[in-house]
Amino acid sequence: MAIKTILCIEDDRFIGEMYVRSLQKAGYTIDWVVDGQDGLVAAQNKPYDLIILDIMLPEMRGNEILDALRSGEEDNIPNTKVIILTNFDQDEETRMAMRLKVDAYLVKAEITPHKLLETIAELGHED
Amino acid sequence: MVKKRKSTIKDYWPRYRRQMMLATISMQIIVTVIVGVALIIAGIPPLSFEYGIVMLVAFITTLLANLLLVFSIVVLPLETLTTAITVVSGEPTDLIMPNPNTQYNERNGLKPLLQYLYTLATDKQSPTSENAPSLLDTAMTNTSASIVILDHHGTIQYASPKAPITVTSDNTKVLELLFDDAESFSDWLASCHDQIRAEKSWLRIPNKIVGSEGRRIFDMTASFEKGNPAEVVLVLFDRTTVYQPEDNQLDFIAFAAHELRGPITVIRGYLDVLSREISEEPQFREQHLLLSRITVSANRLSGYINNILNTSRFDRRHLKVNLAEQSLSHIYDSINDDMQLRASTQNRTLSISIPDDLPTVAADLSSIGEVFSNLIDNAIKYSNDGGLIQVGATPEGDFVRVDVTDHGIGMPANVVNNLFHKFYRSHRSRETVAGTGIGLYITKAVIESHGGTIEVKSEEGKGSIFSFTLPIYATVAKTIATGDNVTSGIMRNNDNYIKNHAKFRG
Repeated sequence: MAIKTILCIEDDRFIGEMYVRSLQKAGYTIDWVVDGQDGLVAAQNKPYDLIILDIMLPEMRGNEILDALRSGEEDNIPNTKVIILTNFDQDEETRMAMRLKVDAYLVKAEITPHKLLETIAELGHED
Repeated sequence: MVKKRKSTIKDYWPRYRRQMMLATISMQIIVTVIVGVALIIAGIPPLSFEYGIVMLVAFITTLLANLLLVFSIVVLPLETLTTAITVVSGEPTDLIMPNPNTQYNERNGLKPLLQYLYTLATDKQSPTSENAPSLLDTAMTNTSASIVILDHHGTIQYASPKAPITVTSDNTKVLELLFDDAESFSDWLASCHDQIRAEKSWLRIPNKIVGSEGRRIFDMTASFEKGNPAEVVLVLFDRTTVYQPEDNQLDFIAFAAHELRGPITVIRGYLDVLSREISEEPQFREQHLLLSRITVSANRLSGYINNILNTSRFDRRHLKVNLAEQSLSHIYDSINDDMQLRASTQNRTLSISIPDDLPTVAADLSSIGEVFSNLIDNAIKYSNDGGLIQVGATPEGDFVRVDVTDHGIGMPANVVNNLFHKFYRSHRSRETVAGTGIGLYITKAVIESHGGTIEVKSEEGKGSIFSFTLPIYATVAKTIATGDNVTSGIMRNNDNYIKNHAKFRG
């Protein structure tokens, strides 16, 4: 499945703008929301190919959004890939649990927009 | 008035001997007088020949009886015992300790008495005694040094009062020190069994993790001598006052570094976006070069922040490595752009020779990327303008070996020996090269948490080779498969690999 539409849920305006700019230049259609509640509503109302999700968000945290979208065996977004993109230091157990529910888990401090684009391209070629 | 001297153990025997001689002589006189009176009563004249003969025979007989019976049966054994007691009492004396194994002592039954007496005396002097504190104990409370003595079973036989010892639930004393996995005391002790004598020193060994109450930091030297009742002697120096301030500073810096991760992420991200956008425009070639230098500095700053955070995690036993099957060339590729940029902006040539067909290794991609980054960054710092830095990799038994070679200023032996110690910076590099003194410390910790090793060869004026090894994935795949390869690292334990629960890469 080629990735064309992306939802970015990121509250840091500098980081959000940086990713949105790179993704748009690379030809993706991107929607960007800055709080967790709006992010969940957007993800439920529109079928995106990819969601880029931060963890520390106002109103609703990224892991809560993920639980709402992919709870237990039920997957409300079967055609959507999810990338966690965070600098939040989680304990290993929580991180592992999240890794199982998402397609990539990236640490902001360890990547650049270019590497994010590479990861998205790899995910697009997986199927 | 003359003050009366307090009598001691050794005074007993001369007094007893005097009394015994007096009693013997008195007995001799009394017996002689009784025999003389008896003869007179019997009608033998005192000045007759018969009277004289009987008196002489009676005198000699009683004298012999005294000498043979009293002295050999009563006096001599008592002399032996009092001599033994005097010697083991510790009082100053010229007496020689009686030998329990002489024929005389065996024949008269003194041997077991003497042996028992000596056993009691040895037990009393034993350091494991529960008696009042020894002079050594008292002395050791007044110094920053501690002594621990272990027997050939590795059981603690003596520990001075301030030694880092803890008592387990089954009442066993154990050493409370947190050694590096690759240089642990128990591994060293196990390696001593085929030696006669051995000695090893450790620096900066804490008894508890950073942040724990009662944390102390020691320098320690261990001496081993096979067959000695005190087979292992540990001498520890409490250096908390020297080392703790540095750890406190690192704690604060780690806190600050955590806050710096956000801004540095943004800076690196925008630099990435900007330099890619203007690289497509020929008129911005000069600006692109300037941006490259900012990018290099931002990446190095990011590397320092990672080193600080990882060191802080490692010291708190929170550093874990996420082991997975990786190709070394793939790991290096993930940082290649950054490394080439760092080398070219500082006018160094970076030559990479990592074959694609090397066996895959068990590695944490980010951590080993940082290891490459630290070693190459070091090679850039300590090489000369225009210098060549070579990175090569080859299989070596169950490992893949990586060499990072520079042809720069090199190091003398005394610097090499301390290179991997936390906060170590040579006098020369303190003055000329920026750095934190933790890059190689955390590099070593990461490599060892993978079950690998790191070493350095250097020659002053000619350059250095930093070499590290990583286990080939196939050799440890089973270990990783049976454990949780994300939360556990692996470490080498003699010939086997075991799970290492102490490493966490957050």
